Amino acid sequence: MTRPPNDNLPTVKLVVVGDGGVGKSAITIQFFQKLFVTDYDPTIEDSYLQHVEVDGQWCILDVLDTAGQEEFSAMREQYMRKGDGFLLVYSVTDRNSYDNIIHFHTQILRVKDRDVYPMLLVANKVDLVHLRKVTEEQGRELAHKLGIPYIETSAKDPPLNIDATFHEVVRIIRNQPQGDNDKRKKKKLQKLGKCVLL
Amino acid sequence: MLLPSTSPTVAFQPEYYQTEKSRFYDGKCASNSRSFSPSTTVSSGEFQRQSRDPSPRGRFRFCVCTGTRKPNKKTLTKWYIKQPTWRLWGEEKADGALYTVYLKKVRYHRPTRSLSSSHSDSDDEISHLEWETVRVRFVKAGTLKKLVEALSTDDGELETEWETVRVRFVKAGTLKKLVEALSTDDGELETTYINVFLATYRSFSSPKEPDHHEQHRKTLISALHVWLDSYPEDFKEPPNHPALLQLVHFCEEFLPATELEAKVRHRLDSFAMRANIPGWKRYGLPDVPVRHFAEQLTRMDVELFKKLVPHQCLGAVWSRRDKSRSHEAATVLATVNQFNAVSFRVISSILVEPDIKPIDRAQIIICWIDIAQELRVLKNFSSLKAIISGLQSNPIYRLQKTWQAVPKEKIELFDELARIFSEDNNQWTQRELLMREGTAKFADTVGENDKQLQKVFQKQNNRTANISFGTIPYLGTFLTDLTMIDTAIPDLISDGLINFDKRRKEFEVLAQIKLLQGAANAYQLTEDSLFDLWFDSLLVLDDREAYKLSCQIEPSLTNTVKNKKKAPGHQKNDSIASNSSSNSSQFYCDIDSMPSSPHNSIDRKLSPSQMSNSSSSSSLPSLDVSLNSSHSGSANNKLQVPSANNSGTLSPNHSQKSSPDFYIIKVTYETECVETDGIVLYKSIMLSNNERTPQVIRNAMYKLSLEGNPDEYTLAQVLPDKEMVLPSNANVYYAVNTAYNLNFILRPKRNEDTDGSGKSKGKSK
Repeated sequence: MTRPPNDNLPTVKLVVVGDGGVGKSAITIQFFQKLFVTDYDPTIEDSYLQHVEVDGQWCILDVLDTAGQEEFSAMREQYMRKGDGFLLVYSVTDRNSYDNIIHFHTQILRVKDRDVYPMLLVANKVDLVHLRKVTEEQGRELAHKLGIPYIETSAKDPPLNIDATFHEVVRIIRNQPQGDNDKRKKKKLQKLGKCVLL
Repeated sequence: MLLPSTSPTVAFQPEYYQTEKSRFYDGKCASNSRSFSPSTTVSSGEFQRQSRDPSPRGRFRFCVCTGTRKPNKKTLTKWYIKQPTWRLWGEEKADGALYTVYLKKVRYHRPTRSLSSSHSDSDDEISHLEWETVRVRFVKAGTLKKLVEALSTDDGELETEWETVRVRFVKAGTLKKLVEALSTDDGELETTYINVFLATYRSFSSPKEPDHHEQHRKTLISALHVWLDSYPEDFKEPPNHPALLQLVHFCEEFLPATELEAKVRHRLDSFAMRANIPGWKRYGLPDVPVRHFAEQLTRMDVELFKKLVPHQCLGAVWSRRDKSRSHEAATVLATVNQFNAVSFRVISSILVEPDIKPIDRAQIIICWIDIAQELRVLKNFSSLKAIISGLQSNPIYRLQKTWQAVPKEKIELFDELARIFSEDNNQWTQRELLMREGTAKFADTVGENDKQLQKVFQKQNNRTANISFGTIPYLGTFLTDLTMIDTAIPDLISDGLINFDKRRKEFEVLAQIKLLQGAANAYQLTEDSLFDLWFDSLLVLDDREAYKLSCQIEPSLTNTVKNKKKAPGHQKNDSIASNSSSNSSQFYCDIDSMPSSPHNSIDRKLSPSQMSNSSSSSSLPSLDVSLNSSHSGSANNKLQVPSANNSGTLSPNHSQKSSPDFYIIKVTYETECVETDGIVLYKSIMLSNNERTPQVIRNAMYKLSLEGNPDEYTLAQVLPDKEMVLPSNANVYYAVNTAYNLNFILRPKRNEDTDGSGKSKGKSK
């Protein structure tokens, strides 16, 4: 690995969503823990910032994981607005969490006022084979239906696909059709401009 | 006992921890004496010991902080490593327990002169203080027995001068060791240890277990006092309070006529108390006294926050709970529900009148911003965030025309308030603010760029010079921190010892919560039951319903593009618009036309706990397709209707297209003795175009907190000269008479209308 360059790197904001108890926090911790070898402190200001290199390009990952706050449902849209990309996490041992993914998906698109947005469907806890209730086929089917990629993860040691998950979202964000993005923004600006003139 | 009730405005945490941790010592090192020379302190040259330096500054020169941590200005909670008076010495293993040993410089007060002169070398009469190295051992892990043992120190003598003492902190241990650590040989109570233990033991033991080890009578009594005072909920268990009863019997037998027995009896008696204050008036946004509203919201939050049981916030309890154990985190859930209740009411109050002009809708937004500003002054960060969240929720945020009608200063004020909860740098702004103002008397922290807030505080200082407030934190940040600690740090370390370091870390967070709970006593707010009534009667929408209403008010850009081919007339707001009254107050508390006299028939709906419960799950079931987590606490109450667009919510466009029209109707409950009741309370519910009578009745019952079989009720629309009773399986949407107000009466069926089935009798109560 090369060292991160010193000049200003683009910051990519990722938001982790999903029901309580699906292991969101474990995924996040597993990804960041490497830096806190001995003493973990969740209150440090750069707890959830990390430089990463994806496909030869460096960026700063800023991850928002509100694990433990799932039931503050009224503030969910507020933090969804901040995300450049999303991990939609469910647990393969919890059918409900799988069923609820569609709602998170809908809500994100609504907040972003878009038809598509960078997201990744994350099937977590695949190490718990004997407790598995949602199959890989079902996971892929849902991903297909939502039009987003699918990945299976485990945050237990040895971790499976944890880094890959975060890197993949960065790729999805980079690969989204730029033209579409710009056009959309322009349209908004035009509209705002018009309103101000009126 | 544990927490100072108030302390100066700045940096409450380090101060608190210093006091707290200075009690941690448990005995000095055998080889130490008060007059040892610098060279014997520690072999390391890092220690620049200022022997017998009476100045408190000495301690800051004393010890060099070791260990490499990431540069970080905010790790106040890490003070025992960062603080110059502490130095990590190493780990020690003793049977059944693992200790982290620190060397620490502490200062003891000389209790009396005579006591101190009884010591051999009191040649130093002038100085009351001496600085010495203390060796501190934290139990890192241990058996429970060891951890309980650690509660007692080997050396009960309180040193009158600075000494080098070795302090052991239980780091980990077996359950048995941890329990043993609770009591000291000399009967002295190790305050911090016992508090960490009691606050966290549920993660590795159950309330029954630690009770068995009662070696030291005195310690036991102290422990029970602390337990009773700090964790009253352990003894609650309504209705019979078995644990408390057991304790009464125990006291009768072993500790008769003690203070403890009196306390336990008093506790038992006080479990039966209630108070009610009647009174009537009516409120309607936006013409409300904003300060009063902020105070009332705070009053509700204070009540819940004081009842909050800190250890229910632990990751192992809150974030790992499943539905069958949700009661274990009931007080946390109540707080969450209240937060959502406020947010949802902000949203619905802005959306509920689809037809008003943007300028009038903006007035409601301004009103909420003003309430939010008052909440900032009151240091109520919970409801403050709830209002900000409501205003930033998608259905409100997207109403561009409305926001354009809000004056610029109000927008600035709103932005400044919203900045408090910025996610940037791991919620830094919010954490810093809590740090500064947590136990301060009043709010006074503003950013350089917060022009509007600066004005607010200036005005405030003149207004309430002598009033002090507590602080209500936004609980979510603590919950996330505790969840992360729970995830990141293992419960057990090698050898299967209980990882007490983890518990210590958790306790740092719990101690903050407890400190703020203590500070919350500073609030002096009287209850306005009319406010509660207003609050409870506000409509609550779930996010989909709110989005639909929002799109009716200002169609979505995407949707208008996609739906262009539709006839424009189809888009018009014929559902709610034509039927809801133009008087905006009507939805909230429609009691003006009724003979008004104080009456308690509705009290049952107004208790805060019930209120927050019902509000959390009161989003209307009719459109609720599948989830969401906000309902999980009351999943049983959730009513589901097979919905036509169930599988169609893939994209907002789709759901918009297939959205049913709906009315908002108001339902009151009438019992047979309604003539004498005097007060009529209306509840608003949504009525969509596929709902039939039984479903509507069920929705109404739910909203009115009625239980029983929907078949035992009838629903009738109130018309000017008569009532129209709805047939038992009508499509209500098409059956109602929209020429009049959509007011309905729900009443139990009388014997003669029960369709011949006698089963309904008696149950409908």
